[in-house]
Amino acid sequence: MSRYQVDKVMRQVVMSPERAAAFRDDASLFLEGFELTDEERTALVQQDVGALYALGAHPFLLWGWFRNVQDRTREDMARYYTQAVTPHGYPDFGT
Amino acid sequence: MAQLVQLIGVQHNPILIRRFQQAEKFPGAPEALRAFGQMREALEEARPDVILVVGNDHLNQWFMDNMPAFLVGKAPIAAGPFPHEREQFGLEPYEVPVEVGVAKRLIEGGYWAGVDFAYSDEFTLDHAFVVPLSLIHPRADVPIVPIFSNVMAPPMPPAQRFYEVGQAMRRVIEDMPGDARVAVVASGHLSVEIGGPRFMVEAPDPEFDAEMIDHIGHGHVDALLGLLTPERMTRAGNLTAAAMNFALLVGLAGGQPATRADYVLLSTSTTPFLSWDLHKARP
Repeated sequence: MSRYQVDKVMRQVVMSPERAAAFRDDASLFLEGFELTDEERTALVQQDVGALYALGAHPFLLWGWFRNVQDRTREDMARYYTQAVTPHGYPDFGT
Repeated sequence: MAQLVQLIGVQHNPILIRRFQQAEKFPGAPEALRAFGQMREALEEARPDVILVVGNDHLNQWFMDNMPAFLVGKAPIAAGPFPHEREQFGLEPYEVPVEVGVAKRLIEGGYWAGVDFAYSDEFTLDHAFVVPLSLIHPRADVPIVPIFSNVMAPPMPPAQRFYEVGQAMRRVIEDMPGDARVAVVASGHLSVEIGGPRFMVEAPDPEFDAEMIDHIGHGHVDALLGLLTPERMTRAGNLTAAAMNFALLVGLAGGQPATRADYVLLSTSTTPFLSWDLHKARP
């Protein structure tokens, strides 16, 4: 598990429009060079919010990352997001 | 000796800024905007020479590659917010001079008072600073000293430590030579959830909010610190740890009851308004 690396990926996307565009263009390419587990890499590429949340991604960054990489309307996005994380309760998000 | 003249505690929710531009459309927003105005007046009436501003960065400036528990900013100018925050929340740029001498005294005095502050000569203020400052210190004509706390990235200091750091800051301020009038503004949250199951829900734990404000209003330090356990804060909302910034303020107040401790219920969260008008208690 490499929560720190997952958080680092998400922070870059949140803070930089260029990095967000690069992630949207080719997530696998973006993730080259980050020390992620296969599970984390797959969850990031597939935008699997529930899996990332359950793995302990920082919730503040997870939401910010998600709103930057997906293309739903804001209302749909929030509904999709909360439905995805709700089954997982409150996992530890410390690194 | 420098004197502590005013303590203020407010929220830093960045969504408030856009809401306040159309306050009449949102229940509670006109009252909250008015209360921010009263906080601004309280700060101005205290005629501070310097304003120490306590807030928590949101993994924008400080990250888990190098995370300070408490850090003093000592560059000559403090400015913000970050570009992505401007875009997302419609925040305006804010810039204010830093009272570098006081920042250094705080760091030096901290060592003797039991607090090893980290410090930085290069930083950006995120919305935890820009939101409260643009609302209650809009002219930016009195210099500040920014103090960053970690309430975002576990392991975090416990509430007891925030309280002790507040106590230590008070001792350092009161030992500073000269007769500077010092105010402190802290920003944080009551119960709040971002990116968790109760995200986008109104105040996730109104009971917690009411209890916390009651303890601060009465100066019940032990009860306050008993409430701010990691377990209880998480139950209140996943990022409720930002409430600990107010425990620091209570430490600065030496546990005395607040002059004002109330809140306005907004659809986003409970918005607290805390003040200790210390200068009025003096002859």
